[in-house]
Amino acid sequence: MTATNTKSMGEDVIVCHDVHKWYGDFEALKGVSMRVRSGEVIVILGPSGSGKSTFIRTLNRLEEHQEGSISVDGIELTHDIRNIAEIRREVGMVFQQFNLFPHLTVLENITLAPIHVRKWSRERAEEVGMKWLTRVGIPEQAEKYPGQLSGGQQQRVAIARTLTMEPKILLFDEPTSALDPEMIKEVLDVMRDLASSGYTILAVTHEMGFAREVADRVIFMDAGQIVEENVPSNFFTNPKEERTQRFLQQILNH
Amino acid sequence: MAQGSIDPSGRRFKLPSLLDVRVLGVLAQLAFVVGFILVTVWFINNILSNLDALGESQFICIDGSSKPRCSFDFLSSDAQFELAETPIEYDPADSYWRALGAAALNTLKVIVSGIILATILGTFVGIARLSKNWLVANIAKWYVDILRNTPLVLQLIIIYFSVLLALPQIEEAIKIPGIPIFISQRGVNFINATFLPSAGVWLAFLVLGLIQAQVLWWILGRVEEQTGRSQNRFLWPIISFLAIAILGWVFSSNDTNQSILLGRQLQVEEISDFETLMLQRYDVNTLGEIDMLVANEVMTQDAVDELALSLCVLRDAPSEVNFTAQLRQRGIPYTVRRLSSQSRATSSFADGDCEVYVAPTAVLAGERDILENPNSFLLLPVQEAPVRWSIPRIEGFNFVGGGKMTTEFTAVLIGLVLNTGATIAEIVRAGIQSVSKGQSEAARALGLSEGQRLRLVVLPQALRVIIPPQTSQYLNLAKNSTLALAVAYPDFWNIANTTINQSGRSIQIMLIVLAFYLSISLIVSLMLNAYNRRIQLVER
Repeated sequence: MTATNTKSMGEDVIVCHDVHKWYGDFEALKGVSMRVRSGEVIVILGPSGSGKSTFIRTLNRLEEHQEGSISVDGIELTHDIRNIAEIRREVGMVFQQFNLFPHLTVLENITLAPIHVRKWSRERAEEVGMKWLTRVGIPEQAEKYPGQLSGGQQQRVAIARTLTMEPKILLFDEPTSALDPEMIKEVLDVMRDLASSGYTILAVTHEMGFAREVADRVIFMDAGQIVEENVPSNFFTNPKEERTQRFLQQILNH
Repeated sequence: MAQGSIDPSGRRFKLPSLLDVRVLGVLAQLAFVVGFILVTVWFINNILSNLDALGESQFICIDGSSKPRCSFDFLSSDAQFELAETPIEYDPADSYWRALGAAALNTLKVIVSGIILATILGTFVGIARLSKNWLVANIAKWYVDILRNTPLVLQLIIIYFSVLLALPQIEEAIKIPGIPIFISQRGVNFINATFLPSAGVWLAFLVLGLIQAQVLWWILGRVEEQTGRSQNRFLWPIISFLAIAILGWVFSSNDTNQSILLGRQLQVEEISDFETLMLQRYDVNTLGEIDMLVANEVMTQDAVDELALSLCVLRDAPSEVNFTAQLRQRGIPYTVRRLSSQSRATSSFADGDCEVYVAPTAVLAGERDILENPNSFLLLPVQEAPVRWSIPRIEGFNFVGGGKMTTEFTAVLIGLVLNTGATIAEIVRAGIQSVSKGQSEAARALGLSEGQRLRLVVLPQALRVIIPPQTSQYLNLAKNSTLALAVAYPDFWNIANTTINQSGRSIQIMLIVLAFYLSISLIVSLMLNAYNRRIQLVER
């Protein structure tokens, strides 16, 4: 369970410096700076509207930042379309609403990007895809359509779809928030499995148990800024900031 | 049958039948059926009494008697009116049937090309309306707003009278540099491909090549499965297909089985030299002027035929088709004498009955040696590429060769495409917007390019929303094509009207018009409904 200590951390794979983002007049990110090392598992917490989702979405350019710099895997995220494409190949993302393609079967969902982006043969894409589908525990659903699966199954397909592209970095944007309680566990189990196999993971989640168990570092954001960064044991038992304490009280006592 | 209910005091009472929803439902249906039958009977009566009023002339049979079942017999008589343009051969001496058939083909031509072009235009404009580029989005928006909010007839008239008829005269036709397209008042003349008889051989090669490529693709797949080594399953089939296509081209071009034999005194070294020969003979500058000679009564038709190139053809020589096709294409006048046996053909040629002897190469090579003074005769193989480009050129007051779109057809096509395209653009935009943002985000996050995102993820889902209203737009286009009347394009409705005016059989023609447009509409909606069923999403 506590693979954290034995894991070897590599070099910095994500470096953000003073990132700002406005929606019109509203400033969603007010100077976010952070570094993520290869193999690190980071959980980002914060009240809703704190900018945590916006932040991880700037990392693969689903949201554009207006100021500051972001570099992922040594590639600077600029307006250069080649850089954006290259970063998106290395960074996988799992969404709150799964966002599976409803017109394609599970296996077609998984093999679409490897075939068209990585230019793999269909045979190879299907082989790798089936491997990941087996890893998330639902190989028997390969020929079904997303609309025929439960929420938990759909999210696991979405994870397999992301992993088949063989990314180095995984972004989770509230992956369990749209799930029924009994399905949350099956998704978290898959995430735990991935965390212990060396992926660099940034996860926005409200699952405190997951954060406590798996994270190497917890980042707490509020009002577009990073308020506190800490290892989970300290973060949950001995938070430094007053804002963090109030947040923890609210969610742990509900 | 009325349902029993229990009132608050516990007593059962009988529900009046007129308050029972089941009874009311049956009564409503009955009322509808009765009403429908009454209206239908009234219509049929109306038709019958109108036919009666029109008198027996409506039912004249070929033998002169008059019976109701002969109502449509008049369609076999001569139409006696001209059609400005026809895709099939038509002459005023042909029947009404043929006139209506030609007009129906004109209508189908407009509908099919209109649907294809409007779909392409509408899709692009619909996507453009969602563009982040201000200029592109606004041009698209204005196009849609203007075209959707003005009547189609007005658009057709503006396009025809103010745009197309204002184009330059034929002599000053607009030429696009490098592309053989001429745009003038008379319409659009453009380069097109002409298939010569030998194209059949070449097409056979192409079919063979396709089958071969398919088989090779399959074999490579099996090899891949068995050896596990990845094979290039596209490159090799394509290369071998191209090889077979080129081989077929060369083979069908150099069909040396076919030849002509002619005297050297004609000074013809290759087939194009016949043109020079004929220009000298008729003393004209272009071959097109030969027709004018007869029209202007400079020469009689017989005199023209006298000077034409005379051919002796050994019956069933395949070279005849190939050779005469080339003569026709060049506009060289010729006369043909067909002879059933080799000896008769040869003696006819030797006697000077004709200038050119057309037969298989083997026959000609043998027969030449029989002739007196064999060296004064030239054996010329008939070679021709199976497909050749035909480029329009001005001859006299008209274009000759190439393909042509008349001004009227162009006006109807442009009008229908612009008008329907605007509505299709809105349908496509609505379809794209109906696909949730999350789909695009997932596609982008997976690294798909913008084009791939649109093509592989957004459009296939948008199609579900697009197809049903799109079907109505296609039907609208088909029915709106009747407005071709406004610019005098001879479409089905236009010619049906002419037929009514001329024959006085309005009821019969109207029934045919009804059946024609109804069947087009039914076919279009059947096809699109089948497609729609296929692309529906599978849900639990």
